[in-house]
Amino acid sequence: MIEQIQSVLTNWDAMLPVLPQLVVSGIAIGMLYALIALSMTILYRATTVVNFGHGDLVMLGAYTLFILLPMVTFNITLESSALSSLVSFVPPYLVALILSLCVLFAMGYIIHRVFIWPILKGPHLSLALMAIAIGYAVRGVIRKEYGKEILQMPRPFPEQEFEVFNWGGIGTYMTLDEIIFCTVVIVMLLISYIVFYKTRFGQIVQAMFQTQRGASLVGINVMHHNNLIWGVGCSLGALGGVMIGLTLVLDPDVGTWTLLRGFAAMTLGGFGSLYGAVIGGLIIGILEKVLGVFVSTAFIEITCYLVIVLVLLIRPRGLFGQHATLRI
Amino acid sequence: MKLNRSIFWILPLLVLALPLVLNQYLQYVVNLILVYILVAVGFNLVVGNLGQLAFSNVAFFGIGAYASGILTTQLGMPWWLTVIPAGLCGALAGCAASIPALRGVRLFYLAIMTLAFGELMRWSYIRTPDLTGGSMGLTVPEPEVFGWMLTTEYHKFYVFLFIVVVVVIATSRLLESRIGRAFLAIKNDENAAAAMGIPTGQYFVLAFALSGFIVGIGGSMYAALVGHLSPEDFDLIQVILHFAIIMVGGLGSLIGSVLGSILITATPEVIRHFEWLVGSEEWIFGGAIIVVILFLPRGLSSLLAKVNPIFKDRYYRD
Repeated sequence: MIEQIQSVLTNWDAMLPVLPQLVVSGIAIGMLYALIALSMTILYRATTVVNFGHGDLVMLGAYTLFILLPMVTFNITLESSALSSLVSFVPPYLVALILSLCVLFAMGYIIHRVFIWPILKGPHLSLALMAIAIGYAVRGVIRKEYGKEILQMPRPFPEQEFEVFNWGGIGTYMTLDEIIFCTVVIVMLLISYIVFYKTRFGQIVQAMFQTQRGASLVGINVMHHNNLIWGVGCSLGALGGVMIGLTLVLDPDVGTWTLLRGFAAMTLGGFGSLYGAVIGGLIIGILEKVLGVFVSTAFIEITCYLVIVLVLLIRPRGLFGQHATLRI
Repeated sequence: MKLNRSIFWILPLLVLALPLVLNQYLQYVVNLILVYILVAVGFNLVVGNLGQLAFSNVAFFGIGAYASGILTTQLGMPWWLTVIPAGLCGALAGCAASIPALRGVRLFYLAIMTLAFGELMRWSYIRTPDLTGGSMGLTVPEPEVFGWMLTTEYHKFYVFLFIVVVVVIATSRLLESRIGRAFLAIKNDENAAAAMGIPTGQYFVLAFALSGFIVGIGGSMYAALVGHLSPEDFDLIQVILHFAIIMVGGLGSLIGSVLGSILITATPEVIRHFEWLVGSEEWIFGGAIIVVILFLPRGLSSLLAKVNPIFKDRYYRD
């Protein structure tokens, strides 16, 4: 450890110019974590259920797009230029994306209505186990059907790199994927902010977060709104899943990976806080990249676990959350 | 014939004759069931009896298995001497896992934290190749008990059965005692338990340490049974397997732990015989947990207890 720190200090001058690149790519990957954490936070805010199976639903979103894509692709053969491939490929991709978001909305709706609602009054233990079991069953079905080979997600746009800015002769690059993903996540964050804080629906959801019983007493149809929120959360997660599928490969086991990073972001930002989830995701993305280069590559995998453990030990309510612990 | 409680003594005696009718492979499956009985009993202490949502069980399991494996390969100790140290390592890990609970971390916060703890442990098995063999795994020599080598599955069976019977009886006595009642009080209402003068913090550490001890012993048996440990054995799939066992069997029930481990461990062997079911363990286990939570929240042991009241656990369990 000490030698590592010394080597970091001696290499500081050489490594410092890399820092902007690390921060930028950290932000890009952090945006993905933020989107996952955002969808989990929305579920948690409405129903006070932490969805331990969310990672597998995210994975299911990516697979749904993969399955739907061949069905909606219509072959237009123009001249083989970059533009024509873009024209013939982007619209079906968007159609498939929207369809898969709808499918996941229906999945979330049905999962809550059939499996979660009947036991919502029960102990937290069975709620958590139910979520885990649903995720496990989903993963089992996907692995049985598609788990035998490594699948590559088809790309809607070509891989390109742009130089964002130049500092001391060393440029900082972002890929087209990263730029589009960041834009989408920021737009989604804005939309969910408006929906949660500016609309009647958002007020209803906040009322349900405070007390579901009280909400039903003032005439809110709690079950219906819970169903809707689960649908919205799952389709947001599916959007994240598509992005993860484009960044990594399609793999039934990506759910666990996703879930733990989403949890880390939520824990760091504070459970139930929308902007906390996003800021937590960004911090974890940057930490992963910076620690991975400056300290040891081993940190890339365990940053999120360390963040979870340290935050819950030192400041269990995270950066922006409320009341996480029980005091006796 | 009217059943009475002597069945709990007759059944293990009948099981003693199992090696006469089983081949080597089936005997291996039975031994695996014995290992999972220990794992489930330890897990049930924290999840079922104390009522805490903790995922750290697989970490205890891995720590016990690797402790036993490292002691036999690096120090050349015979296997039977490593069983108790493996349990103690598990108990230490249990104490470590109870620290967040002492700090007031509960519910899903505890779940997430213990999940991260288990993944950190798995990462450390991969990252310390000098001790654990890294991702290549660790090959454990044949187990030895008092100078005898346990070369066949039949030999292992009798040793394992002895350990399991001792641990199950000890746990049963423990749960009927003051400690078991304190666990139940904490499960039902922690504030009320503290108000009644139960030192909840101490019982938290005790439950986690006991769970770690039992599961650690289970881990050392696993090392002796399988002979080769790899970090993938202790990933999240294993966590869900443990959950499936105690949910299907019945939360907080000793009979449930035994029943669940028999069913869940035997299921893959049954699946193997049907062509179209190969590779379906995951969704079958997931579906089984869903069905049990929805329709049979106390697991199969509650069904058994309905058939005949002697299968009820003697300690009160709500």
